[in-house]
Amino acid sequence: MKIRSDILRTYQSIHTWTGITTGLLLFIAFFAGALTMFKSPITQWAVPENHVLPAISVGQYDELVQQATAQYETASNGFTLHFAPHQSPMHHSPMTWYEQGGGRGLSIDSHLRQASFNKEGELVSVANQQNVLGDLIDQLHRTAGIPGKAGHEDIGVLVLGVASALYFIALVSGVIFLLPTLVKSFFSLRQKKGANRFWLDTHNLIGITSLPFHLLIAWTVVVFAFHDMLYGGLSLIYGDEPMFERNGGSKQVYSVAELPPVERYFEAVGDMVEGYDIVSLTFADLATPRARLSIEVAGDGKLQRAAETDIIAMHPFTLDVTYSTLSIPENGAFGPLVKSFFALHFGNFANDTGRWIYFLLGMMGAILFYTGNLLWLEKRRQKQAKQSRSVTIMAKLTIGVCLGSVLGVATSILASKWLYLAGVDINLGYIAIYYGIFVTSVALTFWRGAAKSAVFLQAFIGLACAGIPLTTLISQWIHENIQWQLVSNTLMVDVVALVFAWIFFHAAKKTHRRAYYGERNSIWYIGHSDNTQQPQRTELVKKST
Amino acid sequence: MARLSAEEKIQPHWWTKSLAGAVLGLTFAFAVVGIFAWYGPGGIQSPNKVQFNMWMISPVWLLILSFSFLFRTGMRAVLVLGAANLIAWATFLLLRYSL
Repeated sequence: MKIRSDILRTYQSIHTWTGITTGLLLFIAFFAGALTMFKSPITQWAVPENHVLPAISVGQYDELVQQATAQYETASNGFTLHFAPHQSPMHHSPMTWYEQGGGRGLSIDSHLRQASFNKEGELVSVANQQNVLGDLIDQLHRTAGIPGKAGHEDIGVLVLGVASALYFIALVSGVIFLLPTLVKSFFSLRQKKGANRFWLDTHNLIGITSLPFHLLIAWTVVVFAFHDMLYGGLSLIYGDEPMFERNGGSKQVYSVAELPPVERYFEAVGDMVEGYDIVSLTFADLATPRARLSIEVAGDGKLQRAAETDIIAMHPFTLDVTYSTLSIPENGAFGPLVKSFFALHFGNFANDTGRWIYFLLGMMGAILFYTGNLLWLEKRRQKQAKQSRSVTIMAKLTIGVCLGSVLGVATSILASKWLYLAGVDINLGYIAIYYGIFVTSVALTFWRGAAKSAVFLQAFIGLACAGIPLTTLISQWIHENIQWQLVSNTLMVDVVALVFAWIFFHAAKKTHRRAYYGERNSIWYIGHSDNTQQPQRTELVKKST
Repeated sequence: MARLSAEEKIQPHWWTKSLAGAVLGLTFAFAVVGIFAWYGPGGIQSPNKVQFNMWMISPVWLLILSFSFLFRTGMRAVLVLGAANLIAWATFLLLRYSL
């Protein structure tokens, strides 16, 4: 396809600038986002076995609620009942409530009390700090690790919203200036024509094949970040017309003892929709006129509104439905349409197969931004040993931020079981380790240079990842009271860590080779510049082979 | 393709084009979505349509912003997008207050 050269040049500049300003943020958001596809298994992997009480049959829940609320004052106002959907093993106790913290948003010092029956049918209960490893990874995904709040919104979310608008422009401009050579270079992955060409081909191949995914992500993130402002603007267009329906429910006050049997909620959900299982029932403000019940339901292969479920809000005593995200006639044609936008961001519509595909798309996205930065560096470097300031700083940022963030997450996961064994604050530990490692990695990269740091940071990531399954293995013998579940879900975390260990060791080896025996005028070269003889010889040898 | 003279080629004018695309693109998106909200399928009261409307603003806006750099000059971007806004908002207000 022919496109005027001035258009190509314009859009090439736009692609370069939108890309280089957002690449680092998007790298973190994407690789952490890929991990959030397995948020539940990761949390299940992290929580010690004895922090989860035994499962009970559906028929026993009513008795459990009555006994637990009678015995514990803190439970009588609100609690959550967890049910094991048949496809996944239980990773919550049957009944949980917050003794401290809880509520909306991420809280790192929430204390969760849990209740169940033991084999003899007696009430058992434990209280622990709630593990939020999965939620912290999610937080990293949504904010790129930028702390702080502006009003009720995370600053990081707003920053990523702006970055995503630029990313949308980067996608459009990238496609425009790739169009003329698209047919020719689409499926070519030239490995023999030097590293740059390989990176360029990888970048283009990933960008074009996952373009619909990327356009969708860019769009949804802009909406997630700025929906309040967009609704604000829409309210002018709606004028006196109300934008949202207000459902006034019953204002009567009931007592916990009047709660209908759990069976009734199953019937009510069954009457509304088919093919869904109840995951949890969350009761809130039970002793007040604002009593609420929020039901999480999950369906096989269904487009779902929340990350892993659909939601039904109902009055806990009268069972009047006030709101639902189900694709039912009450929600009109637009409800399911809007829901599909959420579901396509969350990747929750094709069970585990879908999650793995989204995991790979997310990781490929991270590679897209990483290679984008590398291409920027290659384009701007001079064919000489000494490089300009902007190139060296950007090289350091690329290595320090991207690899530092990956190392931070890998180390936090590695430390998880050791934090439990050491008996310290788990969630604070994760945060301290992540930021500690991240900041140290960036500092080290600025001190030792991008080329050296690229090698040792990748080696460290490999080590941290290898340490994860190793910890699981030896944790069997360290402390007999602190053990972890070994089921397919949790073992998968260890296996994936092992795969990443192999990938990063391999990458570290390749980077090391390039640093010492690669092109001498590259930013990645760290062979001795005063000893000009040896590298030249290796270059000659390479050419002749 | 014939060679273009210097004036015929796209001028950079980054600031004016970016601003025109960002501001006028957004106001245009609101007008288009406003017309859709009131007079599109389902009318203003269709359940959950407000969410769909909110979702539709950003893609219209971002596409206009992305293609604003195709204007030959920054001034032209302001004029064309400004005119598009006038037409869209006039249509919206006319429909809204005369029907």
